[in-house]
Formats: sequence, structure tokens, C-alpha cells
Amino acid sequence: MSAADQAAVMRDHPLRRWIRAYADSRLALAGLGLLVLIVAAAIAAPWLAPQNPYDLMQLDMLDGRLPPGSVSGDGELRYLLGTDAQGRDMLSAILYGLRISVVVGVAATLLALLVGMTLGLVAGYFGGRFDALLMRVVDIQLAFPSILTAMILLALFGQGIDKIIIALVASQWAYYARTTRSVAMVEADKAYIEAARLLGLSTLRIVFRHLLPNCLPPLMVVAALQVAAAIALEATLSFLGLGLPVTEPSLGLLIANGFQYLYSGRYWISLFPGLALLLTLLALNLVADQLRDVLNPRLRKS
Amino acid sequence: MVQLASGTQFGAHWVRVLALVLGLWTLVGTTQAAALKIGLAAEVTTVDPHFFNTGPNNAFLHHVFDSLVDVDADGRLISGLAESWVAVDATTWEFRLRKGVKFHDGSELSAEDVLFSLARPAQLTNSPGSYTSYTKPIVASQAVDRYTVRLRTATPYGPLPLDLSSIFIVSKKAVEKTGTEQFNAGPAAIGTGPFRLVAFHKGERIELARHEAYWGVRPEWDTVHFRVLASDAPRLSALLAGDVDLIEAVPTADLARLKTNPRVSVTTRTTWRTLFWHLDQFRDRSPYVTDLAGKPLDRNPLKDVRVRRAISKAINRQALVERSLEGRAVAASNINAPGIFGYNSEIAVEAYDPAGAKKLLAEAGYPEGFGLTLHGPNNRYINDAQVVQTVAQLLNRVGIRAKVETLPLSVYFGKARASEYSMALLGWGSLASDFTLRSIVGTPDADRGWGTWNWGRYSNPAVDALVQSALESVSPEQREDFARQAAKLALDDVAVIPSHHQLASWGLRKGLKYDGRVDEFTYAHEVRSVK
Repeated sequence: MSAADQAAVMRDHPLRRWIRAYADSRLALAGLGLLVLIVAAAIAAPWLAPQNPYDLMQLDMLDGRLPPGSVSGDGELRYLLGTDAQGRDMLSAILYGLRISVVVGVAATLLALLVGMTLGLVAGYFGGRFDALLMRVVDIQLAFPSILTAMILLALFGQGIDKIIIALVASQWAYYARTTRSVAMVEADKAYIEAARLLGLSTLRIVFRHLLPNCLPPLMVVAALQVAAAIALEATLSFLGLGLPVTEPSLGLLIANGFQYLYSGRYWISLFPGLALLLTLLALNLVADQLRDVLNPRLRKS
Repeated sequence: MVQLASGTQFGAHWVRVLALVLGLWTLVGTTQAAALKIGLAAEVTTVDPHFFNTGPNNAFLHHVFDSLVDVDADGRLISGLAESWVAVDATTWEFRLRKGVKFHDGSELSAEDVLFSLARPAQLTNSPGSYTSYTKPIVASQAVDRYTVRLRTATPYGPLPLDLSSIFIVSKKAVEKTGTEQFNAGPAAIGTGPFRLVAFHKGERIELARHEAYWGVRPEWDTVHFRVLASDAPRLSALLAGDVDLIEAVPTADLARLKTNPRVSVTTRTTWRTLFWHLDQFRDRSPYVTDLAGKPLDRNPLKDVRVRRAISKAINRQALVERSLEGRAVAASNINAPGIFGYNSEIAVEAYDPAGAKKLLAEAGYPEGFGLTLHGPNNRYINDAQVVQTVAQLLNRVGIRAKVETLPLSVYFGKARASEYSMALLGWGSLASDFTLRSIVGTPDADRGWGTWNWGRYSNPAVDALVQSALESVSPEQREDFARQAAKLALDDVAVIPSHHQLASWGLRKGLKYDGRVDEFTYAHEVRSVK
């Protein structure tokens, strides 16, 4: 193989092709940039935030409901985005809230992906009774709105970040199971799988080494969209007062806390966490949209 | 005396002028019926006055029905259908009825109706919230004549008149052969109250018209329309849009904005609802008390009165009321509101004293403090979740590592009543402090009905004895004195930690006046128009 051929192969490497296709859209690039920023801010929250909003020792109720830019009573802190009713610095609370959103979104999606994908692969590859049973369970699951499933589970489990993740996984795994199964069924009939079978490879190897990688692109699109859905669902649950304790507010709870003050002009308690949530979801959706375009051969520009 | 006489003369002249003006005004008024539209914050579930004992139901039922003993806006007993009452002996009460009281169907009230009404709650066995606790002390009743009723109790029982203020008097003739549904439909809803029922649409609206033969002060309104507007925003919007003339429970966060609106006015007043903290005082290891590292503590610091006092001193009630409650409450020293029967004004509001609190904690053997989780509801009282967080913040300042868990009422009360918590917030409203003390700090005894809401299971025989004496006193003065002593004893011992008394608010369109009531009830017949 000549060097020129090799370069051509490299140029045609799917990953490169995808990156190039992704960069086609400036909006999608901006979305990706925003997303990276948000994730970085969430990870670095303990070092970035002027205050630990979960430590009651650091809060002073006498600083409650101060407008953006106010200085704390002891003169040591400037509340750039104002404070909530407990005297919690909104900027710090939003950074910590983003952290919760990112952790919950990513963890719930990965777990749901793992569960749904495994079940979907098995169902799609083997078919039969297990497939029929699993798909009926998926049907039932999808018939319930995910918010309802999550609320019922949280009412049973109680509060806590681990419980929220479990509730989200339980309400989202079915999407992955269904997607994986449909792709796996198509792929399983293709020649390369037949070839692998004829070579006498073990079933485990065929499913996870050969079938799985070819099912991944559509799953990645679903997962990217579901991260946004998981974050929105967590915010909704927190807004409704389920989910996390009041002393550890996530974005949804922060919005709920400020909700009653919207009429009275103290906009900042709801507005800023709302904006943070909006930007996060926007960035995720921009990225997911472009991923779908890139990974879907039918939409690919010739 | 001379001056008084001339004053009377002068007054008589003005009465004549006033009568003339009123007469003219009535003539004008006949062309335009005076209607009052009220937005209620909670649903009225039934018109049957003996079926479902809830605050919103009772508030509404007072429009259609009367009780023997009435309660004024400040929570004091005044005469209702009974002109007067007296304890004939230690276990016999005599009630003298007003003469000439007319039911809505025109028939006249008699002792028979009273006896029938007092017996009826016990017959409604399917009641979801019974009124029988008010009639249970009565072991025998007797109509001495058409206007006199005698009631006997098994043991001396001072609060009987207060209990009877919760029992509505119905017409025996109208009710005898009917059930709850006939009240809701109308035929059985025959009372003696200031208004008669025109239509009842459950969960939606209720229409009333003035009872022209009402025995009391004639209400200003020809008709009254109640609308159920349970959500805060729509209720407020209805007032601002002029769809209703008056709303109860103005949303806290909007009060400041409403006060600057020239088209509406707001009435606020202290109510009976008092919030306090229960502290686990019966377990040696309390479930939500830990050491500083978060491990369960092998002794219960809340059993030590010094620790309880320290927690009380650590709470900055003034700041709590001004900041967390935005002025919607006043700091409390008692577990009953000021003015309520048995309120002890000698008890002072605990002063905010973090240094003193730390000193007491050190004396009790906790110089570094300990860990404690506070529990409270998040949808029951004014800014309740914020109150719990603020108190946790304040406890952290004196070294107690306080955490917070707030839950919806439905979950919270179940767990709290099973005494699952170490420190938990409760709000209580009653018209007599001996009642409150019996429920809140009386040694729990389900059979006797004592300590039914004593979550911390505080127990002090001396307090129990004083409460018992109060309940057995048929002389109001003696009873109130015992109740005050009991309150002092229990609170000196920090049986519970009083926090604040809530304020209630009503929003009215300009031109209306309502003074509010300590029981938070909204009475159309107490709403007046002003110039």
C-alpha cells in the first residue's frame, strides 16, 4: 500500500469523517463549546464557587433575598447573582446545581444505556419468547409518561441523588432497549454476522464484538438526547419538591424556591437557575441534533 | 350625668337623621341587590353540619347554621342560640335559649331541635371527620321547657360551652328523615344562620341569600357567592380582576405588591395557629441525634433541660419572623396565641442568646455540640421549609450540626405522629390552652385522649395534674388560672419550644372592610362596606 493510499484511508477513517461532518455546522460547534464550558464549570464548582451553598454554617439568613451585586452583611462576599431566601449565594448554588444536573444526567444515561442496550441486544439477536416478553414490558413502560414512573418510584424510595438516578434509569431504559433491538435485528441478518457464525465464534463474542459496535451510532444519538431529557426530568422532579433535600438545592429546586417571588419583583432567584438550565439543555440538544445528522447515513450529504 | 343625658338627646336626633338617610338608601338599594363574592382557599366538602369536621367546612357552615355558644373574632365565647348558660352543679349545665329564633323555613327554634342536633353526630357512623369528640362528654340531656336545656357530664367538665360552639343546631323537622345528600341538595339545609342556602356545587361554588328573619345583626349582603379558588395565583388574579370582592389566604410573596395597589386593601391579624418544636424526650438514643462524626449518639441530649433551653436560646425569633416569614408571624412565648383563653402573658419570648446557648451546651457536656436532623413539612404552614432551614442555620451557629429534612404533609404527619423524629415542627390552633396542653404536652394516653399530638412524649405529672384541674373547673376564672399555671410549668421545663404565631391575611376590593378572625374563618356577615 502506498503512502498516498494510506493517507486516503486515514482521511476516510469514519471518526475523521464524523468530526469533519460535525464541524460543518457552526451552531453545533457553538453548542459543543458551551457544553464543554458548562461541564467544566460543574466539575470545578467547589473551586469556582465563592461559597459552599450546602454548608449551613456559611449561610446567613440576614442576607436573604438580596438583589444581584449586593454585598453580604459582614462585607466579605459580593453576591453577583443575588441570594435566595436562606441567604445562599445564587452563583454558587447554580454552579453546584449544574454539578448535580451533570452527574445525574450522565450517570442515569449511562446506566440506562447499559441496561437497555444489553437487553435489547439479546432480544434482537435471539428473538423468540424472551424478545416477545421484553418488548411487551417495554410497551407497558413506554405507555407511562416517564415523569409518572419517576414520581412513583421517588415517593417509594425517598430523597437522595442515588434514588433520583435509579428513578431516571427505571423510566428511561426502555428507549434504549427498543432502539437497540430494532437495529440488532437488522444487523443480525447481515452477511458479516453470518460469516462470524460460520467461523465458529462464540455467541458472546459475536454479540458484543461484532453486533454491538454496529448498533452504537443510533444509540449514541438516543443517548445524547436522553441526557438532556434526564436533566430536564431531574429538574422537574426537584421543582415538584421530590428528589433532593432542601438544603442541597439542584437547579429545579432553586427555580421552585424563587417561583413565588416572581410577582414581587425578586426575579433573580428563579431567573438565573432557569437560564443555566436552559443553556445546558440547549447545548445538549444542539450537540445531539448534529450527532444525529452525522451518524445517520441517510441524512449524510453525498 | 347631665352631660350624658344631653349626649343622649343629641344622639336621638342623629338617630332620626340616620334613619331617614338609611331609609332613602334602602330605597335606592332595592334596585341594586348587594352581592358579595368571596374566593375561598380551600374546598367546602359538605353542607351537612355534623358530617365532616374540617376548618373550611366549619367556616362555611357558620353562615347557614348557628351553635348554642358562639365565638367572637378574638376567640372568646359569646352567646349564640343560647342567651346564657350556667353550671347548675359540678356536672350539670343549663343553657337558656333565645326566644323567637326562626329557621329558614319559618319554624321556630325549640329545645327539641337542640337535643336532636346534639345527638346527631354520634348517629353518623360513616363520618370521615367526626364531631363526636365535642358531644362525648355529655352523658344525659333533657329539655326542661321549650327554651331550657340541661346537659349532664360524667365528671366536672369546664370546656363544655366551648365544645358546644362547634356543634351546629339543625331543624329536627327538616332533618329527621334525611341524610347528608339532602343537605347538599338543599331541603335539609335549614338552619337559623344569617344566610340560607340557594345552591351548593361541590368543589366549585356556593350561593347564599340573606335570612330576613335572622335573630342577630342583619348582614349587609342580599346574596353571597363563594368560589373555591384553591391555587394561590388564580385566587389572587380573581381579586385583581374584580371577579371576586374578597379572598382569604393572600399569597405571602405577593403581599408587598398588593399593599401598593390602590384598588385593593389587605387585612392581617394574628391567628390561633402557633408553631413550636417538639423534642424527643422519651428515648435514650434518639434516631436523628448523632455525634460530630455522624454516628448515633449513645445518649439523648434532648432529655437534658439545659440542652432544650440552649436550642431555644439559639433561635433568633425576631430575625426568623422578619426574614424567613417576611413579617407574616409574631414571635411566640406560649403555645397558644395572645388573647386565647389561658394565654400566660407572664411568660416572655425567649431572648436570642447564642453565647448563653453555647454555655448551657457546655454545662450539659456538649461543648462541641452534636449532630441533629430537624424535620418539618414543606406545604403546610407559611414558609415552613424556610423556617426549618433557618432554625438549622441558627443551631449551627451555636455548634449543633443541624441538618434539614422537609416533607409533604401527608408523609410528614404520619411519621411525626409515630414519634419517628428527634426535633420536629408542629403548628396548632385551639381556643383554650388547657385543650392545647392536654394534646401537646400531656402524658400520652390514647384511652383518655391525652398527649395525642405529644410527638416528643414529654411527661410531667405536675403539668398533667394542673391541666386536669383546669378541665374540671366549671368556673371560667378558676379554669383559666389553672391553665396558665400549667403552661408556665411546662414551658419553664422547655417541654416544647414555642416559635411563632402565624398571621392570616385577607385581600379585599377597595370599599370593603373585614377585621379578620383569630380562627382564620371568613364570615360574609362580618364584611362591611365603607366609604
